[in-house]
Amino acid sequence: MGRRTLMAAVAAMTAHVAFVSTPILAQDPIVLGVIAPLSPPGETALGQLVKRGAELGADYLNEKGGILGRKVTLSIQDSAGKNEQGVAAYRRLVTQDKAVAVFGFVHSGVNIAVNEVAKEMGVPTMGTQTGAGDVTAKKYPIAFRTHAVDPPRAATWVGWIKKNNWKRVAILAETTDFGIGLAKETEKQNKDGNLGLEIQTIMFDRTTTDLLPQLLQVKAFKPDAIVNIGVGQPLELMITQANTVGLLPDVKMVTSYDAPARPQFWQIHGDKWKGVSFIAFYSPKSELSELGKWFAKKYQEKFNEPPVYGALNAFGNAVVFAQAIEKAKSTDPKAMIEALETGSFTGWSAVPVTFPKAEGVLWHNWSPPLMVLTYTAKDQSVGDAEVSYTLDK
Amino acid sequence: MMYTTELLIQTVISGLMVGVLYALMALGITFIYSIVKTINWAMGEFYMIGSYIQFVAVHFLLGPNYWWLAVIISTAGTFLAGYIIEPILIKPMYARPMQRRDDYATVVTIALLLLLRSLAVAIGGPNQYRPETNLPIIWLGPLPQEGARVAASFCAVVALGLFWLVIKKTWVGLALRATAQNRVAAQTSGVDVLRLDATAFAIGVAMAGLAGALLAPLFMVFPTNGAVATVKGFEIIVIGGLGSIPGALIGGLLLGLVESLGTSFISSPYQNAYGFLLVILVLIVKPNGLFGEKVREA
Repeated sequence: MGRRTLMAAVAAMTAHVAFVSTPILAQDPIVLGVIAPLSPPGETALGQLVKRGAELGADYLNEKGGILGRKVTLSIQDSAGKNEQGVAAYRRLVTQDKAVAVFGFVHSGVNIAVNEVAKEMGVPTMGTQTGAGDVTAKKYPIAFRTHAVDPPRAATWVGWIKKNNWKRVAILAETTDFGIGLAKETEKQNKDGNLGLEIQTIMFDRTTTDLLPQLLQVKAFKPDAIVNIGVGQPLELMITQANTVGLLPDVKMVTSYDAPARPQFWQIHGDKWKGVSFIAFYSPKSELSELGKWFAKKYQEKFNEPPVYGALNAFGNAVVFAQAIEKAKSTDPKAMIEALETGSFTGWSAVPVTFPKAEGVLWHNWSPPLMVLTYTAKDQSVGDAEVSYTLDK
Repeated sequence: MMYTTELLIQTVISGLMVGVLYALMALGITFIYSIVKTINWAMGEFYMIGSYIQFVAVHFLLGPNYWWLAVIISTAGTFLAGYIIEPILIKPMYARPMQRRDDYATVVTIALLLLLRSLAVAIGGPNQYRPETNLPIIWLGPLPQEGARVAASFCAVVALGLFWLVIKKTWVGLALRATAQNRVAAQTSGVDVLRLDATAFAIGVAMAGLAGALLAPLFMVFPTNGAVATVKGFEIIVIGGLGSIPGALIGGLLLGLVESLGTSFISSPYQNAYGFLLVILVLIVKPNGLFGEKVREA
């Protein structure tokens, strides 16, 4: 190559960088932030599900041409279930990674702490699986949520109990925001609705290693049903020890979330599964949107197991934020928030997603369909579980 | 609620059974401290390692009939892990002159805690597991108990007995006791205290591994399952006295009883608070613990 040719090539490359690259820079990807518990002491199992769902959400959006013609990338941060780590992650996402929206929250405490900062910094948040009232009840403009809050969740098991004509109900709840809130809400619905249920409420510390003393009190109460409001290890311990004292399988137990929907349920409990039902937000029998169907197919292909709620909901958050940006035609936080408040979006469920400026905990809150599922045979897949009750909208 | 004699008996049995298991954990911590003069903050992670080995051994290799063999393998595996880790992380404190040994030990063992937890997540994933058990429900008087819990308590008592025999009746036990009393004097008498440190550390963490293996069918296997056991262990050594072996036993039983009785007869949500009240009471009455010795420092 002659010297002139070389100089011409360099000049051409320089010109390309100077003039052609400018539009490419304008086409920087849109960053969606994810804050999930990916290491202990956080709820890492749920964190991994959220990560899977969010990643498939980005895949879906890019497959469809991105958002506003721009590629979508994720910045996934680990909160470890710690408030301070979650807040630091949010600041990093907004200031360093230029994230335009943040979702993936599993721990209510982290979500609430982040919202306190987000209300100043302005980038909207979405609670993926956070149940505490204060996530939305403080009515912050930036705070959104797509998860079941206390009233519909309690209404689901109250409806299931009424449907079976049971009268005596024992509530065993851990002393966390989650447990206390649900126990009080159940008692409130019983009182306000004059349902006539006799309720025995026993609270326990979530680090307990022995629930036998509490279960012996429950046995003496002779309940028709037990509401198991433990999260993680206490939930499983209660099932094990309720079998030991002879409460299960004759007395029916409902768990407050969908832990038994995970395949580990069968590994953990083996033959001691009878009499346990669980609140679920998704069943393969549930009606999915077209997006939900795309997700279910891809999830099965990628992970060789049926999708579960945590992953579905994180996917839903990603696509709902994308639709809000498209509707607002901008990533400006205020425009996005207005779009979220006024629009109707398609998430994973066939039920449209809306975020009304409603009262109390229902502010900016979309609740997934709620149901009670019951296994009818050992090693059954969640898709074959019986739908024992569905909460009417 | 009804306060009956039956409920009292049930509560006492339940408390004693939990207390024995607490004691096993506390004994490991206090034993390491008495010999190596180091508080091992990663004790719960050795509990976790024991539980993971138990799960792998029962679920993939031996089956539930050989749970007892899996317990032995888990204990031996944790012992081996301790024997390998001690020369790398703890021995340097004594092999060369060092100021602020306690600070070094705290930083090193907390770093070890984080490393082991992260490794557990990376290798085993975030899910909970449970080794299968074929032990039936056993009635202790009026109280039904999981067979695994009864077996765990029984094995813990046997392990504590064996530990006592080794300490009191063997040459190694004599050397360990001598080192606990006075490291320099033991070294002067020909005891290789640096090598003994590795043995003591390994025995201590093996006790945590044994507790993890025994309790795995009840409390399951996951990366942070040792956290509660560690907290209880430290509560007990405050109650019984740091470095006191009888203190660990009595402290464990007392803590189990107080928590169980408080839960049944006062109020259930404050189960942990009863233990801390006991700790505060002991600190007021006997600041060195029930069996702790007064130490004069220059």
